Amino acid sequence: MKELILTLKEDIIVPVEMDAVIPEKIENMTLDEIKNIELPQGNKKVLLKDLFDVELNEDADVSRIIIKNSTIKLKRIGEKMTTGEIIVEGDAGMYVGCEMKGGKIIVNGNADSWAGQNMKGGELIIKGNAKDYVGSAYRGDWRGMSGGKIIVEGNVGNEIGEYMRGGVIHVKGNAGLMAGIHQEGGIIIIEGDVDARVGGEMKKGAIVVYGKVEELLPSFKFEGVVEDPVIKLSKKDEGTPIKGKFYKFSGDYVYNKPKGQLYISVESNPDLI
Amino acid sequence: MEYIIKNGIVYDPLNGINGEKMDICVKDGKIVEDVSSGAKVIDARGKVVMPGGIDSHTHVAGPKVNIGRMFRPEDSKKEIYAKKGLRTGTGFSVPSTYKTGYQYSEMGYTTVIEAAMPPLIARHVHEEFMETPQVDKAAMPLFGNNWFVFEYLKEGDLKKCAAYVAWLLRAARGFAIKIVNPGGTEAWGWGKNVHSIDDPVPYFDITPREIVRGLAEVNEMLGLPHSIHVHPNNLGHPGNWETTLATMDCVKGIKAKPRYGERETVYYNTHTQFHSYGGTSWKDFESKGVEIAEYVNKHDHLVIDVGQVTLDETTTMTADGPMEYDLHMTNGLKWANCDVELETGSGVVPFIYSPKGPVYAVQWAIGLDLFLNTDTDKVLLTTDHPNAGPFTRYPRVIAWLMSKKYRDEWLYNKVHKWAIQRSHVADNDKEYDLYEIAKVTRANQAKVLGLSKEKGHLGVGADADIAIYDINPEEKDGKKIEKAFRYASYVLKKGEVVVKDGEVVKEIYGDTIYVDVRVDESLEQEIMKDLREKFTRYYSINLDNYPVQDAYANSWKVIKIDATDIN
Ligand SMILES: [Zn+2]
Repeated sequence: MKELILTLKEDIIVPVEMDAVIPEKIENMTLDEIKNIELPQGNKKVLLKDLFDVELNEDADVSRIIIKNSTIKLKRIGEKMTTGEIIVEGDAGMYVGCEMKGGKIIVNGNADSWAGQNMKGGELIIKGNAKDYVGSAYRGDWRGMSGGKIIVEGNVGNEIGEYMRGGVIHVKGNAGLMAGIHQEGGIIIIEGDVDARVGGEMKKGAIVVYGKVEELLPSFKFEGVVEDPVIKLSKKDEGTPIKGKFYKFSGDYVYNKPKGQLYISVESNPDLI
Repeated sequence: MEYIIKNGIVYDPLNGINGEKMDICVKDGKIVEDVSSGAKVIDARGKVVMPGGIDSHTHVAGPKVNIGRMFRPEDSKKEIYAKKGLRTGTGFSVPSTYKTGYQYSEMGYTTVIEAAMPPLIARHVHEEFMETPQVDKAAMPLFGNNWFVFEYLKEGDLKKCAAYVAWLLRAARGFAIKIVNPGGTEAWGWGKNVHSIDDPVPYFDITPREIVRGLAEVNEMLGLPHSIHVHPNNLGHPGNWETTLATMDCVKGIKAKPRYGERETVYYNTHTQFHSYGGTSWKDFESKGVEIAEYVNKHDHLVIDVGQVTLDETTTMTADGPMEYDLHMTNGLKWANCDVELETGSGVVPFIYSPKGPVYAVQWAIGLDLFLNTDTDKVLLTTDHPNAGPFTRYPRVIAWLMSKKYRDEWLYNKVHKWAIQRSHVADNDKEYDLYEIAKVTRANQAKVLGLSKEKGHLGVGADADIAIYDINPEEKDGKKIEKAFRYASYVLKKGEVVVKDGEVVKEIYGDTIYVDVRVDESLEQEIMKDLREKFTRYYSINLDNYPVQDAYANSWKVIKIDATDIN
């Protein structure tokens, strides 16, 4: 299998779209074809070789693309990928892992907004922070992320998991406003603190917060304190165990009969109830 | 510029030409007897030649379309139009203006009528028309929930109502009388609706029957080119076929007296599919398409367009405000709605017609029941774009009509079995031929709009709006039919080649057609008094700022009518 190493030659000002460079496409291309891939840059097109030093190893263990010196100006990295790996050395621009169906992306830096938008499968790991709308729906759509796993080791911005229907978003740092807004499935786990309105208008799915919750919406109903619960999202779901003592809420009661579950750490929020 | 289109197989129902091999000559934007030897030759051997397509009912410009575009960015993402040398555009069900013009043109369409113009916001419609290339355009102002109309008809003053209609058509640069859920949209302003055609409108105490019949009489007094264009009450509700029949029947006896054009009918029932529902709920919902078709076949005073459901994800939009609220409550998707002062209202809701949904499958079948059972002189092809499906699906609808095999492929393999069980589509063997396709997409449309002098045919003197399709008249392969009608070989607009091999090769800005009726001066003076009073008391804008100015078209085509004999 092929391993492609792209090293950005110099900083760019106008953003470049990288969605044409994904592992399954590279597998069927020669070095020369790869070098001549056209990438949209603003309202122009540039060739891959003009921006990057290109290196190709023909016998890698997995189909892989490594982007070195990456910056926030490289957008749509790994969009729609179904297999293989992309390793980003540096930051990733908007829409990293957007609509991805399979494979794995590791960003060894920060990610801009809309990481993993409408993700369907695969794994997206961001070692630094990510901005807003991690695992969200496309603007205007009501059908968001449906599968796969996003792990952000740092902090995330506002409205993560918007209209999420399936999969997992795991944030090791803090989250901004309205995490899990309109959520309809899947699990969001936040190890750090969350800002206000967590789970706003959620219908289904679960949100777990280990840190401090800034403010809880009044439209959630307190269901009691639970210890080491197993979160089940459907009858068939074998369950996701989580450790700790949590206040359990159901909501959001702006809807009739909502099935959303919200778990908030008792330890970090002694005065919540 | 001169052209001679050689050896095409011509379908021109208005001139009775059914698949004859002949040459068509074009000079200076018109069809002529012959051309000089210098004329450019278009070789149409083995190809089908038809007049340019006409869409008598579509929603392509104005405030509600624009709300659809704005509140559905996800629809914009679905389809991107970026052909070399042309303006880019986006949107599958609510395309941007340029994309709309280009795509109609690619399909061989040369004239489109926007079916619902809120008069107060007419400028918005005309502004978008100016940015919609490739086609001639016209818009129908909404009259069915207008306070002036209610009051004049209530007083039984048809003359004043006629003078008001004439004034508004001129002020809004409108083309015909559109009626949507007569009285119901006004009732929606009070949180209500009207259901039967004899339910009084709250506050105004006038019934839909009085509104429809009154406006039909006014239409013929003025002698407008098109008849009244009606979307009856109860759209989309099980059991509504009876309301539809009652509405169709309530104008019987009124005689067509167009002062322009050759229309013989006084009533046009639009998107009839949405009005041909049997049953009492969605559980016992069934097609009454055949029953409606039978009524249409037996009576000479009306025609229908179908509003064929194409089983896509689309955006519904209508001046039927309460109906859109119902829809939003049914599917839970986002909803926009608005009130237009004394005139009308509207709503917008996305909609997904899934082939596997039982109700949607029946809706699809009802459209086909109408197509397959109505006399082909009395039915028109529309999808009520974008309500039942985007206009870019017309070629697919044509394929369903021309090929029983293709229709059955959908009926037996793709759609829910309710379509077989609750309609008559499965037992119907009718297949449209190209002559009939030319009727439902051209000839009938031109005639009912009152534009058959210049459009919808290929006789000498007609506008040289011509479509050439690469299709064998015997073709039964649905996919091939669809492709041929989606991308015309050639399209001529005003005598110039604008599409070649399915690609737009020339941008041309069509006319905006409107009707200017002159009425007796003293009668006009009288209604101006009423207008001044109402504008001062109720309107948010000044009467003098209301009429659309001359600058709002690339070029106007004015249909002038003298109705000064009304006094
Ligand atoms: Zn309509």
